Amino acid sequence: MLKCGLFFTSYNKEDQLFPSMFQKTCLGLFLVAMLIAPQVLDFYYISVMNLIMIAVIGAVSLNLLTGVCGQMSLGHGAFVGVGAYGCAVLAAKGVPFVLCLLGGGALAAVAGMFFGIPSLRLKGIYLAISTLAAQMILEYVFLHWSAFTGGANGMPVDPPSIMGFSFDSDERMFYLIFAVTVLCVLGVSNIIRSRSGRAFVAIRDFYQSAENVGVNLFQFKLQAFATSSFMAGIAGGLWAYYTMYITPEQFSISLSISYLAMIIIGGMGSVTGAIFGAVFITLLPEVLNTATSLVGSFAPDISALMAPLKEGIFGLTLVLFLIFEPEGLVRKWKMIKAYWKLYPFAY
Amino acid sequence: MKKIIISMAAIAAMLFASTAFATVKVGVLSDLTGPTSSVGVPYAQGIKDCVAYVNANGGIDGDQIELIQVDYAYNVQQALSAYKRFKSAGIIALQGWGTGDTEALVRFVKRDKIPVFSASYSAHLMNPANAPYNFTIAPDYSTQGRAGLKYIKDSWKEARAPRIAFVYPDKPYGHTPLPAMKEYAKELGFEVTGDETLDLKAMDATPQILGLKKHKADFVWVGGTTPSTAVLMKDSKKLGFTGKFLVNIWGNDENLAKMAGPACEGNLGIQAASVYGQDVPGMKMIEAETKGEPQMTHYMRGFVSTMVMVEGMKKAKANGELNGEGIKNALETMRDYDPMGLAPAISYYPEDHRPSMAVNICTVKDGKLEFLETVSLDRDDKWLGK
Repeated sequence: MLKCGLFFTSYNKEDQLFPSMFQKTCLGLFLVAMLIAPQVLDFYYISVMNLIMIAVIGAVSLNLLTGVCGQMSLGHGAFVGVGAYGCAVLAAKGVPFVLCLLGGGALAAVAGMFFGIPSLRLKGIYLAISTLAAQMILEYVFLHWSAFTGGANGMPVDPPSIMGFSFDSDERMFYLIFAVTVLCVLGVSNIIRSRSGRAFVAIRDFYQSAENVGVNLFQFKLQAFATSSFMAGIAGGLWAYYTMYITPEQFSISLSISYLAMIIIGGMGSVTGAIFGAVFITLLPEVLNTATSLVGSFAPDISALMAPLKEGIFGLTLVLFLIFEPEGLVRKWKMIKAYWKLYPFAY
Repeated sequence: MKKIIISMAAIAAMLFASTAFATVKVGVLSDLTGPTSSVGVPYAQGIKDCVAYVNANGGIDGDQIELIQVDYAYNVQQALSAYKRFKSAGIIALQGWGTGDTEALVRFVKRDKIPVFSASYSAHLMNPANAPYNFTIAPDYSTQGRAGLKYIKDSWKEARAPRIAFVYPDKPYGHTPLPAMKEYAKELGFEVTGDETLDLKAMDATPQILGLKKHKADFVWVGGTTPSTAVLMKDSKKLGFTGKFLVNIWGNDENLAKMAGPACEGNLGIQAASVYGQDVPGMKMIEAETKGEPQMTHYMRGFVSTMVMVEGMKKAKANGELNGEGIKNALETMRDYDPMGLAPAISYYPEDHRPSMAVNICTVKDGKLEFLETVSLDRDDKWLGK
């Protein structure tokens, strides 16, 4: 009789990102499905998938900082903005796309490191306020540094092109964003498994113990801020290229709160959780809008009442998650996996 | 044979019917639940009521308009996916809303050739070189501000130069018209005395009022929304500030009197459409459509925005090109279209999308918004996009 569950015979096997053949097969099928998707889906769905993937990069990067390293940040949206503006300015100067994206990420990393310096002395809610200040300062810079950012009028951005191939449609942008998202997700997954990742986790769990075992708090906290902000900048760069026009309003505190909601709902500290959260938060308004439209088609009066309810439903969903599943969607996912893995001998 | 003839006649009738009742799809991007919903809801209702009116009165020369409305809660990302949904549904025109989303969509609508009527009046959206598919029915914020300044200067009787200060939120919306207004104020002979920033969610404006007193401002341009304007006016009365306020288009509506009470009496406000009940030819139609229920001035703008779009569609259909590009081309030939007095006459040019240079000045009298005068400026090329 075959045994239930996974049983590893070496540390290397256990340390794999995808330890079972079933997972590898599923991943392969998922990748194939993603590559086919733009050819068969309507561009509305492609657009939503593009937005989801950009959100995934932002959420996964914040998850590295907050979920893995325990450094609360309310300024992530602004770091996304730094990347977007950095990218847009470089693109306007004729710099090639890849360098623009990396340059935007690097600029965001520098900003993240600068605003991460207080993290040596501050933690928890105090660090949250400090990063909130970063959000406000950067928003101020976006609006007032007109020569660099276009100020209140914003900045146009041309579609990206690589070696003459222009990504000027939703379908083409899909492949570009998908490739970058895969790289970012793989990058974060591997960072977590590396020495730095283990140091991040040690700092999150108890900073004094981490220091006692030789973790340089300042170095690793800054490293977490830099890596997280770099990827936030990459997300911002993709956003700028995708929307083709950026304004200061796009990188407000509400964006930072959205990213925080993504990792809370998805599951703090888990890459899969951050992905789930990004998908959930991006899809929720779309689902609510579709539901409102459907109801409106046969009961216009109720539809009018449903519109204001949407905000309530959004808030209620967050509260219910915090009460009934504080570990997020990833916990549910693990329970479903465990159920199938152990079936029919769960106990 | 008889059966075949009957069948063919039935098919022909169906084909004819489908032609006769063809629909043109229009997207409506509304803020029904977000931070600007207090003005977004009446504006969206104006659009809906106008479409109902047009459909009941022959549509676009026989074609019915089908509205597809999405509430994007003033979130740019949601606006983007809503736009894709509209595009997927096959819209040929869009009724948009705020500054953030309108700007984010500028290049999409240009690429997809879908004309957009928005309630964002940023000056750079009026320049077809930057935004060829963007249209509005109100002049840009800068033109509105300039007209307000001209009204003040024309009614200024004292020998000395009037002093003006500016109060605005530290947001793109607050900053947009400032350089143009300050330049024009100096040109008209104003003394520009200073700036104060006031958050849109401010609960207290004491520091700002003390600042304005220090500036000795005779007039204050207010670039906020109704709640912050009401706070400013109430604190102004409380602290004995004697200057007069000139409030921009989103800070001056029927709710101001409800929020500020007597403190807003006699101050000036800028508007781009008529006030409900105003003596203009189109008001009978509005009153019939709303069954006599008073509506906010934002409702009027939504209504007029749709009227102008419909006029463009009719012209496009007459030209045999009822599509996005056809509507844009038709709109650019529109000259002095009178929306039955509900707003100043509208003209668009291929190189200039400013709908007009005329701005309505209003005041609050006995708790009611009241029209005072329409101020017209020259269509000066140097102001386009600034």
